[in-house]
Amino acid sequence: MITIQNISKKYGQNTVLKIDTLDIPKGQSFGLVGNNGAGKTTLFSLLLDLIEPTTGHISNNGIKVHESEDWKPFTSSFIDESFLIGYLTPEEYFYFIGELRGQSKAAVDTLLTEFQDFFHGEILNQKKYLRDLSKGNQKKAGIVASFIGNPDVIILDEPFANLDPTTQIRLKGIIKKLAEDHQVTVLVSSHDLMHVTEVSDRIVVLNKGEVVKDIVKSEQTLKELETFFAGTAVEAFEEE
Amino acid sequence: MIKKFLSLQWKEFTRSSAFQKGIAIKILLIFAALYFGAIALFAGIFLFFGIEEMFPNEDPMVIVNNFIIFWFLIDLVIRYFMQQMPVMNIKPLMIIPIKKGTIIHFLLGKTIISFFNIIPLLIFIPYSIVLLAQGYAPLHVIAWFISVMAITQALNFLNILVNKSNTVFYITLGLLATFAALEFFDIYKISEFFGVLFNGLYNHPYLVVLPIVLAAFLYYLNFDYLNKRFYLDGAISKEIKEVNASDLSWMDRFGKLATFLKNDVRMIWRNKRPRQVLMMSGFFLFYGLFFFTQKAYDDMPAMVAFASIFITAGFLFSFGQLVPSWDSEHYKMLMSQNIPYRKYLESKWYLMVLAVVISFILSTPYIYFGWDKFAMIAAGASFNIGINTFVTLFGGALNRVPIQLNEKAKAFSNTNGFNPTQLLIALPKMLLPVLLFYIPYFLTDYNLNAGIITLALSGVLGLVFRNFFLSQIEKVYQKGKYKTIEAFAEKK
Repeated sequence: MITIQNISKKYGQNTVLKIDTLDIPKGQSFGLVGNNGAGKTTLFSLLLDLIEPTTGHISNNGIKVHESEDWKPFTSSFIDESFLIGYLTPEEYFYFIGELRGQSKAAVDTLLTEFQDFFHGEILNQKKYLRDLSKGNQKKAGIVASFIGNPDVIILDEPFANLDPTTQIRLKGIIKKLAEDHQVTVLVSSHDLMHVTEVSDRIVVLNKGEVVKDIVKSEQTLKELETFFAGTAVEAFEEE
Repeated sequence: MIKKFLSLQWKEFTRSSAFQKGIAIKILLIFAALYFGAIALFAGIFLFFGIEEMFPNEDPMVIVNNFIIFWFLIDLVIRYFMQQMPVMNIKPLMIIPIKKGTIIHFLLGKTIISFFNIIPLLIFIPYSIVLLAQGYAPLHVIAWFISVMAITQALNFLNILVNKSNTVFYITLGLLATFAALEFFDIYKISEFFGVLFNGLYNHPYLVVLPIVLAAFLYYLNFDYLNKRFYLDGAISKEIKEVNASDLSWMDRFGKLATFLKNDVRMIWRNKRPRQVLMMSGFFLFYGLFFFTQKAYDDMPAMVAFASIFITAGFLFSFGQLVPSWDSEHYKMLMSQNIPYRKYLESKWYLMVLAVVISFILSTPYIYFGWDKFAMIAAGASFNIGINTFVTLFGGALNRVPIQLNEKAKAFSNTNGFNPTQLLIALPKMLLPVLLFYIPYFLTDYNLNAGIITLALSGVLGLVFRNFFLSQIEKVYQKGKYKTIEAFAEKK
């Protein structure tokens, strides 16, 4: 589904991302982990053509993202709060996204009822604008909006951050369910090793802009990741 | 402590985005400040002599006092529009051992030296000096000057106190209109009534205590208000307004564009900054009154053409020049959602066309000044729709200033319009129509119709090439896409 070829991003002399090749097949549930500044958000921004690659290209379903806009109809994402329109109510925002993705109001309503639990009564019918919701509730709205219109690719940057424990567990359930039928390609990044291993089939570790681990999930994965990050902690400590 | 605050403020000022801009803009800004300062100085000096010339039999001081009420009312209205409430990043200071009172005093004190309080200084200091030079009693002049300044400060604090209330604003505006009408139509000499008050202040210097007490009282009210609400959920919290969601489904008849139009209407309705722009653009409608009522312009049809363009272009100019910026807060989303760039631009284009059409309909009362004037306005509207919308959209591509939707524009720290490219682009918007009118008019031996028809046709021609123009503009936007996203992502 997604093919990354030779991609790199430099700011001046500073290389923040460099991936020679990475292939994400259709229906895979893909987890991205790494410390701050490892290049996770950069990679996702490149995928969405929000920043210009220094070299190389990314193809989404065979479409080079920086040459054509045709990947937009089947790709959806939630990166940060700037993906929300602050002056709309959550309902208005969902309908807006629905209209953009060719969904009727009724279809959006049906989808929203599936997420009643997830919303926990804090999103719909609140008579509040999105900008006045708390960070966590904004996140909930943004994540659900990315499910509107049956996208083939869903990109979520740090979806677990700022969520309360109940919502985190519910979100894991939702992502796992999406991954089950292997139709939707889900890309999730996280700082939380436990969450990301739980929801992903495959985990890629970025460190200082490079892929340092690419593992298919197994029983040992969490342990392996913990050992790796504990190792980099020691390394960082020694460098100091 | 105050010294520390001042240093914080200085850093905020010098590190603000307005100051990070290029040297060219800084120079422009300095020129603009000097220009306004010079105008104020000039006004102050010539106020006295001008009045003396116009009304040789009367004491200029009395006339100034009669009409100063209008100055104060206008001052209040402008403040409502432009003056930002004093904000300082209080949150980090709340948990530090500084007395609450000190912070509030500083916050309020800061507003005393705002732009709106300096302009009156620049006018009334030279005016008072002229008065002294003309042999008015120093004691009286100085007391009067202090009174005027105290009233200015009182207005300043009054505005801070009532700024959240639209009612007060409409009352002020209503008073202003009523007073002006009473005065203008000779129904009741309101100026004489207030003249008694202000002349009294001048004639009895000891009365200076009254405005000072008034200012001090309003200061105290502000202090008290803030002091009681100095909590995270008090005065410094954002006001959360309950949504009043109006049903906009009737707009669905606009088809695919309805999605965007609905969104833009909500954007304008629910955010302070675009609302401000909308109100301002309403004033453009009255532009014709300045030109059409003056006999002097009857022989200068080029000026009339200039005015006619403006009448229907208010929203187009003031809203249009900031086109991608209005969506700066969620630009990344728009760029990754299922929206072709073309559709986005087209929707903005329709919005501007709609605004021109509405302004044109609202301008029908100008028929009163003659059908030729109205024909000119119609030709101007045609030009605005066919040419200026595209020029404006094109200009937007070069504009990468993020906007905070729900904050009012600050007077003078708002440099959005001061972008040199913007200025360059603004030129054809205003000069081209005048040329398009004037050249045929001149060539046909001063035939008004030739000019009007050429101007109108140019608009039609622009519409014919609509798709071509939009494609070209889209290319420019696409080219600047990454830069725009980056600029909009910067924290203001």
